[in-house]
Amino acid sequence: MASMTFANFDWGRFKRRSFATPLDSGITVVVYLVLVWLLWQALSWALFNAVWTADGVDQCGKDGACWSVIHARHRLILFGLYPYEEHWRSTLACLAIIATVVISCFPQTWQPKRLAVIWIVGFATYYLLMEGSLLGLTQVTTDQWGGLALTLFLFSSVVLIGMPMGLGLALMRRSEMPVVRGFASLVIDLIRSLPLLTTLFTAAVVIPILLPTWLEGDKIWRVILAFGLFFACYQAEVLRGGFQAIPKGQFEAGKALGLTYWQILGRIVLPQVFRHALPSTVNNVVVTFKETAIVIIIGFFDVLASANAAFGTAEWAPYYIEVLAFVSLIYWVFLFSLGQYGEYLKKRMKVAQR
Amino acid sequence: MINRTILASLAVATGLALPSAGFAESPTIKAIEERGTMLCSGHNGSYFGFVEVNDKNEWKGLDIDLCRAMTTAILGDPDKSQIVPLSWAQRFPALQSGDVDIIIKATGWTMGRDTELGLQFSIPYFFGGAQFMAHGDLGITEAKDLEGGTICVEAGTTIERIAANYLKSIDVEHTMVSYEKASELRAAYLANRCDSFVAWGPFLAVLRATELENPDSHVILNDQLSNEPISAAMRQGDEDFVDFTNWMLAALLIAEEEGITSQNVADMAANPPNPKIARLLGVEPGMGERLGLRDTWAREMIAEVGNYAEIYHRNLGEESPYKLERGLNNLWSHGGVLYAPQLD
Repeated sequence: MASMTFANFDWGRFKRRSFATPLDSGITVVVYLVLVWLLWQALSWALFNAVWTADGVDQCGKDGACWSVIHARHRLILFGLYPYEEHWRSTLACLAIIATVVISCFPQTWQPKRLAVIWIVGFATYYLLMEGSLLGLTQVTTDQWGGLALTLFLFSSVVLIGMPMGLGLALMRRSEMPVVRGFASLVIDLIRSLPLLTTLFTAAVVIPILLPTWLEGDKIWRVILAFGLFFACYQAEVLRGGFQAIPKGQFEAGKALGLTYWQILGRIVLPQVFRHALPSTVNNVVVTFKETAIVIIIGFFDVLASANAAFGTAEWAPYYIEVLAFVSLIYWVFLFSLGQYGEYLKKRMKVAQR
Repeated sequence: MINRTILASLAVATGLALPSAGFAESPTIKAIEERGTMLCSGHNGSYFGFVEVNDKNEWKGLDIDLCRAMTTAILGDPDKSQIVPLSWAQRFPALQSGDVDIIIKATGWTMGRDTELGLQFSIPYFFGGAQFMAHGDLGITEAKDLEGGTICVEAGTTIERIAANYLKSIDVEHTMVSYEKASELRAAYLANRCDSFVAWGPFLAVLRATELENPDSHVILNDQLSNEPISAAMRQGDEDFVDFTNWMLAALLIAEEEGITSQNVADMAANPPNPKIARLLGVEPGMGERLGLRDTWAREMIAEVGNYAEIYHRNLGEESPYKLERGLNNLWSHGGVLYAPQLD
C-alpha cells in the first residue's frame, strides 16, 4: 500500500476501472467530491480555523478546533496526577519504556539473555524514576502515577508477564501428564469465561477485603498480575492454534534424531509456532493496549481518565472533542506502529519459509 | 479489613465497658494520625465543581476542600490529605477495604446505603435534587410534556430510580437510556440523541453554564423530583469518627453564621466577641478534648480553607465559573436548610 505513490500511480488502470461508463464516471466523481469535501471539513476544523495558543481561548468558536485546551492540559493528559514539578521524571520514564519496546523489536536483540537484560534495565529505569525514593528523589507512590506514563507501563508489564505465562500455559495444555493438562485447561477456561472488568475489579477491590493487610501488596501490582494472567490465557489459545498447525511427524523426527524435549521445542517447533500465531498475537497485543483503558473503573488515572479530567472543569468543558481527538491520536500512533511492525515481521518470516 | 473490624469492635466493647470515658478515641482518627496522611475519595476523571483537577494536576472542588478541612483539623496541615481516585462503583468497596478513610464524593444518604452497605452518614453538607433539562426548541415546560420522549440518565445512580418512580407517578410513557459517564451523557444529549436529560440539579446548572454555545436554548424544568441530602459516608462501627465529621461540618457552618472567615479568624481568636466564638476557636477549652483533638482544630481549619460560604463560593458559587445560587444550601437564617447543631 505504501508503494502506491504518485510516481508509479497507474493512471490507465485508474481510468479503466473508474470511468468505464458514464454511470461509473458519475459515481466516481460524486464519491471523490464527497471525500474531498469531508477532508476539507476535517482540515478546516482541525487546522485552518483552529486556535492554537493557550491564551487564545477567548477566540475559540464553533467552526474550529480549540487546541488551547491541549496546550493548557497536555501535562495532565500525559502524566495524570503525577506531581507537577516532577514531570521530567515521568517523561524520562515514558521514554525508557518506549526505548525498551523499540529496541527489543530489532531482530539483533532476539536472544533470551539480551532480551532479559534489556527489559530488566528498561523496567528498573522506569520504576526507579517514577517511584524515586531509591534514587534519592521525592517518593511518588503508585497511586499518583497516571496518564500516558501509566498506560504504557500497564501495557508493557501486562504483555511482558503475559507472554511467557501464555507460552507456559500452552505447553502445559499440551502436556502428556493429565494433571498438568487438566490444570492448564481449567485455568484457561475459567479465566476466559470471566469478563476482564470483573477480573480487575476483583484484583483491585475484593482481594484487599479478603486478604490480611500485609499480604495485599500494592494495587497496581495486583491489577498487572490479574491482567497479565488474563492476557496469558488468550495468548495460550493463540499459541495452541500455532502448535496444531505443526505436523506430529516433526516431533517424532526430532526424537528420532535424539534431541531433547527442549531442543525440539526451541529449535524446531517454537519458531514455526510463533510464525503461525503471529497475526493473532499482534491482534491480542493491540486489543490489550486498548483494553488498558478499562482500569479507569478501578480508579486508575490512565490516559483516558486524565483526558476526562482534562475537560472536566468549567473552562475546558466545551472542548472535549479536541481532548478526545488528541488521545485518539496517541492511541493511533502506538497501535499503528504496532500493526506496521507486525507486517514487517510477517515479511521477514516469509523469507524463512522460502 | 479483618484487623480493622476487630479493632472497631474492641473499641465498641471497651466503650461499653467504660461508659464514662471522658473523651473520644476513634480508631480511624488514630490510624490517620499514625499514617500521617488522610485518605479521601477522588474521582476517575472529574465531577464539575465537586472534584476537579486544575492545570497544575492538583485536585480541587467542594468535596476536596472538605477533605482538606478535615485533614487540617486532624493533622494540622491540609496538604497531608491524599486523594485516591475512585469510580462511582468502586467507592463503597474501597471504603470497606480501607483504601480511603471517608467518602466525600457527592454521595446521597439513602436507607440502603445506611443499612445494607454498612455505612454511616454525617449530617448533610449539601442539598440537591434530581431535575430534568430539555432542549428549549421542543417546547417542554413541565415533566408531563415528556410523554413519549427519550430521557438520558447516568447509570447506577439514585437518580435513575427516582426519575422512573416520578414519571410513573405522573403517568408519563418514556424511554430511558442510561450512560456510564457524565461526559457521554452530556454528549448524547447535546447530539440530540435524547429529548431530555435527568440529573442532579446542580450538575445540570453547571452543565448549562459551561455549555458556551447557547445556554439559553436549554430549559431546566421546575419539577423537583427529589431533594437529596449529600453527606460524607464512613464505615460502620466508628461512632467517634462520625461525631468528629459532624462537628467539623458544624464548625464550618457556625463560622459562617458568626462571620468568621479565613481572613479574620486570627483577629477573632485574639479578641473573641462572644463566648461561643471563644469556644469554637479554642480560646476557651472544650472543642478539642471532647473529640480527642487539639482545642484549636477549628481555628486552624478555618484559617486554611475558610468557612462554609468561602468553600462554596470558591468552588460552585460567585467566585467559580458556575455561579450557582446558594438556594437550599444557604444557612437557615438566609432562607436555606443548612444549620449546625448547638455548640455548648
